[in-house]
Amino acid sequence: MIRLEQVDKRYPNGHLALSGVDLVIRRGEFVFIVGPSGSGKSSLVRLLYREELPTAGEVFVDQFHVTRMRRSQVPRLRRQLGVVFQDVKLLPQRTVWHNVAFAMEVVGASSRDIAKRVPQVLELVGLGRRRDSFPHQLSGGEQQRVGIARALVNNPVYLIADEPTGNLDPDTAQDIIQLFLEINRRGATVIMATHARDLVNQVKRRVLAIDHGRIVRDELKGAYHEA
Amino acid sequence: MRPKTLWYFGRETGYGLWRNGWMTLASVSTVAISLFVLAFFIVLSVNLNHIATTLESEVEIRVFIHQKIPRQTELNLLKQAKGWPIVRKISFFTKSQAAHQLQSEFPDQKALLQLINQSNPLFDGYDVYAHHPSQIGVIARRFRRLPIVQSVVYEGLVAKRINRVTEVVRAVGWGIEALLALATLSIISNTIRLAVFARRREIGVMKLVGATDWFIRWPFVLEGTVLGLVGAAAADVAVNYGYRWAIRAAVAAMPFWPVAPLHLVLQHTIGVTVIMGLVIGGIGSLVAVRRFLHV
Repeated sequence: MIRLEQVDKRYPNGHLALSGVDLVIRRGEFVFIVGPSGSGKSSLVRLLYREELPTAGEVFVDQFHVTRMRRSQVPRLRRQLGVVFQDVKLLPQRTVWHNVAFAMEVVGASSRDIAKRVPQVLELVGLGRRRDSFPHQLSGGEQQRVGIARALVNNPVYLIADEPTGNLDPDTAQDIIQLFLEINRRGATVIMATHARDLVNQVKRRVLAIDHGRIVRDELKGAYHEA
Repeated sequence: MRPKTLWYFGRETGYGLWRNGWMTLASVSTVAISLFVLAFFIVLSVNLNHIATTLESEVEIRVFIHQKIPRQTELNLLKQAKGWPIVRKISFFTKSQAAHQLQSEFPDQKALLQLINQSNPLFDGYDVYAHHPSQIGVIARRFRRLPIVQSVVYEGLVAKRINRVTEVVRAVGWGIEALLALATLSIISNTIRLAVFARRREIGVMKLVGATDWFIRWPFVLEGTVLGLVGAAAADVAVNYGYRWAIRAAVAAMPFWPVAPLHLVLQHTIGVTVIMGLVIGGIGSLVAVRRFLHV
């Protein structure tokens, strides 16, 4: 379970990104975080994998007290999470295979497990035949799929995605949302920050709307409409 | 550490060195030059120590025996003194041998030599050599206490000064070496920081997918130690050939000058440069990676 209690996030330049956020996300849920650009979606997502710390309030992810944990404990938290970044963050000098395998190597997986698991996730995201390509040889959608494969490869309990369809054409975005639904059906909790109105309206899952750093709407089978 | 992890670190280290080829070459050259300068001061220090040690070994104590002491008593003391641990070497001379030595040293002093030939006023005695100048005073006092000893003469001040100069040279040598070590550390740290900077994105991604700090550090630390080690090896090769040349030149120009032998010099330079290369390379990398780990 993910729990945020009275969370504020103020950046050093004085900008208040989140204010008094209370939130509970249970295991197995599929949650959209929606809102206009600059509303605080990305800040909220970054708190979950501790790329940012809140200025006030508490963040819990399962047994981890994210705001109080020691730095040395952070890798254990991150291994529970699969994160799909807005800017994908692929390593340009490594092949598709290595970009995905690398996430298993850093957590100390065996060569046998890597050789077995990486083809599975590459198949799942539809990139089985592109394993030897480098990121610059892939389209935006394919790069995003590599990012998703990397997030999934360690079987995370939570899949967190920040604008995963931001720069993609509608068909590719559709494919990716279907992939997320499939992952959710297999048991992972999916948290997706987006402003892809059509996708949110089509899927009818829980919607958290953020505006000016506050949660202004929380609907179980919600839609994307302005607050 | 598991073999798989070790293999990963080895592979990443090799990959990093190969991928940053020019940077690797630049780092190795910088390290080699810095360590060569360091080695130069070590060579200087070893040579000064060698000169000091050589001079120390020249320092002697001259012990004179009262007149009319039986030869057997004199030889008994010689035998006894040979057993003292602080005595490195001792040799006996008779007063006629002393007179001969005086004649050979001062052949022009006719009046003096005539006086000596008429009635030799000199004494029998011993030339005593200490292991270390600091022991000269102890040896002198020990001889003075003996009733058959007439007097003890030694260059106490010279011995003390040589001792002090040696200490100063050693201290200054270490001081210079410490400063050079700091300079080298800073150079290595900066060159590795450039390599790390080029890979900061990779480090960031590694952190975000759950890598521990040490998992990220190890390949860089190994890379730093490899750079340090290769740099040290290059510096030592240069010292080896340079010093061989210097010995040949010194022997030709100043045959009397006590030059420290090559093996003694290399023994010091290899030890110090290899350890410095490893330690500085490792620490330099740790310092360089540190600020990129805060993700």
